[in-house]
Amino acid sequence: MEPFQRYDEVEIGDVYPTAPLTFEVSAAVVDGFLAATGDGTGLYARESDNRRAPSMMASVYLIDLLMARRSPPGGIHAKQAIRFHRPLAVGETLGIQARVVDKYVRKERPYVVSDFEARGSDGGLAASGRITSIWGKDR
Amino acid sequence: MSPDLSIPGRPSSIVAGDALPVLSRQITQQMIDDYANASGDFNPIHVDPEFARTGPFGRTIAHGLMTLAFAAQMLNAWSEGTFDECGEIDVAFIGPVFAGDVLTISGVVEEILSHEGRAAARVRLKCEAGERQVLAGTAMQPLESIGKV
Repeated sequence: MEPFQRYDEVEIGDVYPTAPLTFEVSAAVVDGFLAATGDGTGLYARESDNRRAPSMMASVYLIDLLMARRSPPGGIHAKQAIRFHRPLAVGETLGIQARVVDKYVRKERPYVVSDFEARGSDGGLAASGRITSIWGKDR
Repeated sequence: MSPDLSIPGRPSSIVAGDALPVLSRQITQQMIDDYANASGDFNPIHVDPEFARTGPFGRTIAHGLMTLAFAAQMLNAWSEGTFDECGEIDVAFIGPVFAGDVLTISGVVEEILSHEGRAAARVRLKCEAGERQVLAGTAMQPLESIGKV
């Protein structure tokens, strides 16, 4: 198997990964995210019993999701839409999966559009949205 | 005729034209490296200056999703944390952010509208690195959740 998927192999309706990716919203992951981006809001204090995690942890698990897509290096994240359905808690586990909903070439650039969902252990939506990527060179 | 989006007994405190707070960050290579560590995205265009020198920008660029994280931080500061609970954001990454750039993110309430039966503010985001616009798009924030309908 090639290390990455070619653009002409991508089909509308493709689901990736085939089983939802598991992402643990661990204290370590949250702390790493906050160390990199800061927290000017004070919303995510470590001392809290029911510690809240930034919903934009999505910017971390979306990377895992895009890696599961096996796109070639050099691609560009062109657009991103995200809707949050509820707050995230430190310690919970999400299941994340995406489906290709469109692909097109514009100005000689190959685009792939995917809708994603992040669900909690109860199956309810935590976040959903759309990722638009320019595929990296695969030849 | 516009729908009546008011909730009796609660004052209106967010109106079209309101400016959101300005979040400003000096971007450093260390921040980009820290974000790579946090996200697991070690694409060399972000973290390898030698590799990035041969790429389209001639130097490393910050992750677009890192810029998005800063936009969320600003929206949470404005909405008292309720962006995390029910906010929406829809952006295009239209320009690179380099180490050394000063990133400023803000927005303006463009319209108060009915969104899926709830009053919401549509915000036009403004995100610049110096004079360059690096991100374009909007956010949608239901207002009932922050008690500002």
